[in-house]
Amino acid sequence: MVGRKNKRMIVLFLIPAMFIYVMVFIYPVLRTFVMSFFAVEAIETPIAAWTFAGLNNYIGLFRIDLFNRSVTNYLTLWFVGGIAVLFLAMVYAVILTSGVRLKKFWRAVIYLPNIISAIALGTMWINYAFRDNDGLFDRIVEAVGGQTPVMWTGPYMGLWSLLIAYCFGMVGYIMLTFISGIEKIGDEYYECASIEGANIFHKFFFITLPLIRGVVRSNIVIWTVSLGTGVFAWSFMFSPTNLTLPYTMPPNYMREIIFGGRGSAVVQRDSGAAASVGILIALLVVVISVVSSLITRKDDVEM
Amino acid sequence: MKKFSRILALMLMLAMVFSVAACNGGSTTAPANGGEAGAAGGGAEYDPQADGIEAGASLIYWSMWSEAEPQAIVLAAAARAFTEATGVPVSINFNGRQGQREGLAPALAAGETIDIFDEDIDRVTGQWSDHLLNLDDLVNGVFSDTDGQPFRAKVNSGLMEMAQERGGGTFTVVPYQPFVFTTMFNKDLFEEAGITSNPTNWQEFLVACQQLVDIGIIPMTVDNSYIPALFGTTVTRIAGSERTLEIFENHEFSDPAILRTAQVFEELITNGFMSPRAATNVFPEGQAAEFAAMEAVAMYLNGTWLPNELREINPDINWGSFAWPSIDAGGAGPEAHNIGAQCFGINVNTNYPNAAFAFIRWITLGYWDQRLADDTWGVPMANDAVWPVQLQDAEVIFASTTDRLPWAAGAEDDPNVTAVIIESFQRMAAGTINAQQFADNLAAIS
Repeated sequence: MVGRKNKRMIVLFLIPAMFIYVMVFIYPVLRTFVMSFFAVEAIETPIAAWTFAGLNNYIGLFRIDLFNRSVTNYLTLWFVGGIAVLFLAMVYAVILTSGVRLKKFWRAVIYLPNIISAIALGTMWINYAFRDNDGLFDRIVEAVGGQTPVMWTGPYMGLWSLLIAYCFGMVGYIMLTFISGIEKIGDEYYECASIEGANIFHKFFFITLPLIRGVVRSNIVIWTVSLGTGVFAWSFMFSPTNLTLPYTMPPNYMREIIFGGRGSAVVQRDSGAAASVGILIALLVVVISVVSSLITRKDDVEM
Repeated sequence: MKKFSRILALMLMLAMVFSVAACNGGSTTAPANGGEAGAAGGGAEYDPQADGIEAGASLIYWSMWSEAEPQAIVLAAAARAFTEATGVPVSINFNGRQGQREGLAPALAAGETIDIFDEDIDRVTGQWSDHLLNLDDLVNGVFSDTDGQPFRAKVNSGLMEMAQERGGGTFTVVPYQPFVFTTMFNKDLFEEAGITSNPTNWQEFLVACQQLVDIGIIPMTVDNSYIPALFGTTVTRIAGSERTLEIFENHEFSDPAILRTAQVFEELITNGFMSPRAATNVFPEGQAAEFAAMEAVAMYLNGTWLPNELREINPDINWGSFAWPSIDAGGAGPEAHNIGAQCFGINVNTNYPNAAFAFIRWITLGYWDQRLADDTWGVPMANDAVWPVQLQDAEVIFASTTDRLPWAAGAEDDPNVTAVIIESFQRMAAGTINAQQFADNLAAIS
């Protein structure tokens, strides 16, 4: 039982945290939402100078080829990259929870990219792995008889190179979540299955997978949320000065129209449209989260 | 061993470039009093009282440089020396370019105490013009460190004219660290190829390219960041400056000059005069690896900041520069270049305008102007300063430029256009589209 005095103390102690939360999270979100319906040049433009624009910011965005390309890039990365990351992370998690030797070592190795700066990783990918002719990937292609240079960072392969580099860094993180889910499954399920003659695939598809559907759902959300913000830095590294078609993502486009170009100083700024981009990204994350919840809701199992 | 050192320096530099670009540099306050030996002395005898420096003044300067950059190191030392000479403390926030572009305007709008700020002249006089103090009286004023002349007479007149023009006829900024965007090249490679004089027109340029190819050197390269500037500058050599600006401003990409420019690039690519890596170079790979570390490429169309950017990788490059050549009759020539600068602005709300302007003079005249040029291999502001040896050719180009082009000749003003230019150029460099398809891609921009 919490006494009335204690309740007052709890409220009192919560006020500073709530105040900060409202000021640095709720207020900016609401302001961004409202801003998305107004014509606003600069982010610091006073509200009195905003002009109501209805849905024009949203409609206008989809008339811009570069923004449409950024959405296509983003969805491609989310879908293809998501499948690749979830699949690889699940495979690693199953292997590492199956009694393999040096489990901790392998887990650390796979997780390692998460503790290396994205900038260092980006430098490695761009200047070593994807480098024409003498880079790692071209050498592999050459070794198996393929034609080089593949031009990994060129206009045709650029998005796929970005996808590979970004996914490489995410697999370890998602894998740890899968491992924690799998380790919660009691050994007795697998022992019973073994007695009944189940092989490793039977165990995976009829025990592991059904019992970690909730974790899969969480990982889809984690992947979606992390992509919404994390891809910004990667796009920036592959195209450090200007927006380019293979690498542009909605957050990068948003930044460009808020602050202007990184090269030219006279790019037209449109913070209202940028707010619309932010709202669209948030909506996308919410929709994906809701859909993934609906798909897996009935299959959650109490362990 | 030397090659290994260069490769190691290249890798470290690339990591540093990305760090600087992505992390907005540091945010450090320079100590008010440092007392660096020999640093005091901004030129002539300094008399704070005669210059009207406000009693009790202290300055807060938001800088576009990142803390580790040579410019920031010199500015921090200059600030310490200024404090010693005048008693005015100077606090510097090194925000880096990205941090400055994202953070300064909201901070100014919120009324944060900032006395001096800097950035590219177009950005300061454009996006931040509402926050600028009118400097007409100060720029035309005579001070104890200006040898009895108005300040503006002591510094580069062309840059001051540019500052006045950008301010709509009044002075709102003072330029420093100016640059000219021109052909930067490796003189040793030119000499090795037997090129005895710098090309002045396109035919001579193509001959020089062939001479370089004949000795196994790739004439030029470009990174994805500088493709629009290469494109825009080349359009000026075909259509002329005014028409080029109209083309980009009004999206008139069906103009024959666009196809002609694409044909010029196609000729460079098919003859092997442009590095095949131009199709894939992610900045700064082309300039850092091909041009500086491996010295496999002889030319790069870039700003006069390039020697400073690359000196950690290869300090031994024998630098030269020449104007991007004339191409067609009616096009612009060596008189037309993108000339720009960083610039200082004083916050219209500052309580210490005289102290702020005294600090600006401290940086742009005398010892510290020369020191900034020497330590950054950069262009000085004062008329009596000496240009670094790496930029001696550029000094001539700078002086003979009468037609000041905007950045990339306008080719980078619309991100939708810029993205198509980069993509089309890279596809052509990859050998998958021709000049007509390049021009069609631009013409299709909605």
